[in-house]
Amino acid sequence: MRAAAFFVGSIVIAFAGWQFLSTFVFNPFLIPPPLVVLETMIPMVKSGEIFRHVAISLARVGVGFVSGCAAGIVLGVLLGRIRLVNDLLDPIIELLRYLSPTAMIPIAVIWFGIGETSKYFLIFWGTFFIVLINTTAGVMRAPIIRQRAAECLGASELQIFLLVVIPSAAPYIVTGMRIAMASSFMSIIPAEILAADSGIGYLLQHSSILLQTNRIFVALLTICVIGFIFDRLFRMAVDRMLSRYMSYIALT
Amino acid sequence: MLAVRNVSKVFGAEADRYVALDGIDLSVSEGELVCLLGPSGCGKSTLLNILAGFEQASGGTVQFDGAPVRGAGKDRVMFFQDAGAALLPWYSAEENVRFALRVRKLPKEQWPAIIDKYLAMVGLAEHRRKFPAQLSGGMRQRLQIARALAVEPKALLMDEPFGALDALTRRRMHGFLLDIWQRTGKTIVFVTHDIAEAVTLADRICLMSVGPGSRITEVIDVDLPRPRDLGDPAAGRLFKRVEGLLM
Repeated sequence: MRAAAFFVGSIVIAFAGWQFLSTFVFNPFLIPPPLVVLETMIPMVKSGEIFRHVAISLARVGVGFVSGCAAGIVLGVLLGRIRLVNDLLDPIIELLRYLSPTAMIPIAVIWFGIGETSKYFLIFWGTFFIVLINTTAGVMRAPIIRQRAAECLGASELQIFLLVVIPSAAPYIVTGMRIAMASSFMSIIPAEILAADSGIGYLLQHSSILLQTNRIFVALLTICVIGFIFDRLFRMAVDRMLSRYMSYIALT
Repeated sequence: MLAVRNVSKVFGAEADRYVALDGIDLSVSEGELVCLLGPSGCGKSTLLNILAGFEQASGGTVQFDGAPVRGAGKDRVMFFQDAGAALLPWYSAEENVRFALRVRKLPKEQWPAIIDKYLAMVGLAEHRRKFPAQLSGGMRQRLQIARALAVEPKALLMDEPFGALDALTRRRMHGFLLDIWQRTGKTIVFVTHDIAEAVTLADRICLMSVGPGSRITEVIDVDLPRPRDLGDPAAGRLFKRVEGLLM
């Protein structure tokens, strides 16, 4: 309750300060006051324009994130479990992970054009490495004692893997996914700025060319809200479905 | 039941070569409670890991129930000090026991009765829905015992199981373990560095020397009646004698 009050209070104060500063101190064309931003936002909401852009960006993030997570988890498990795979692939991964999605935009455009595929690829790229590295770490750190305990109770290799190793790694995997989701929301924007004709990033870019600062601020606010909402949704989903795998960290 | 002949264990090679165990001989008969006693680093956990089948001996033979030990098996269940790591923290107490029955491939109809039986035996019946994190250290160890007993092993291999518990809880666990042992007749190999613990529990105490090249230096039969009291003169003398041999 107290936390919620502070959360709301903090935002209200920030907006009030912003309103004051852009009315009396800064140039309101460069930093439009929140009431003007709101005024600009209303017709964009009413016409559905903003939702269209949001939906397009979300779809791109969704496809890239889900496929990146799936690939990252599968390969991460192999890397964490099979020594040879790890020895072979780890050096390459250690190098490739420094190529951020933004660095991959130019080549992605050449490979896949400015359509959806290049965006899927870029989000996949960013998600894949984060989830992969966290999954590998989680699988490797599944306590050997826990695996041995299961082994002498009579568990087969497959049972140890599915019922002991994977659940032990779950907190790492979920944490990796959460970080990857935040990074997906960040990297979709430059991708759409540089190479798209729709989406929130495109809205930013297009408004910038037309010097519509208030529309830029609408887009920026939208990014904040969407990112925040999805992080909360992700946490709620994890709490609902995986809490028994997450809550025990305090024990060890 | 358990026959260890001239077992050695070498780690690493060449410059890093380390002989942990050298010429270990040990026989444990059915229903016996044997303590392996020695200072830290004497290789007693390594020996236990070999008995469990987690590690291979570099030389010598290990036979259990007449057959050579190849890998872990549910006839010899290992029992760990760190119950928090050994138990499955995402399962409740009863689900942990159920896990053991599941991997043991027992028909599902039999599960509830067995779960009830062993949770009751270790006194956790009313805590069955709690998760390991919600249980005290002693309760976690009792849950580990229940889970081990549920697969009906012939032997329990215990690696300093009560070493992380406070002194009072440890004493209570000793009484509890002896009670379980007398009721079930399991063979127990119990590793410890605590002389008092060995004197309290063991039918036989095997003293191990410090590595490298640890061996069993002395085997002491303990024929004191149970429950034992360390204040008792006979137990006190035994304690002094073991202490003298170890120092």
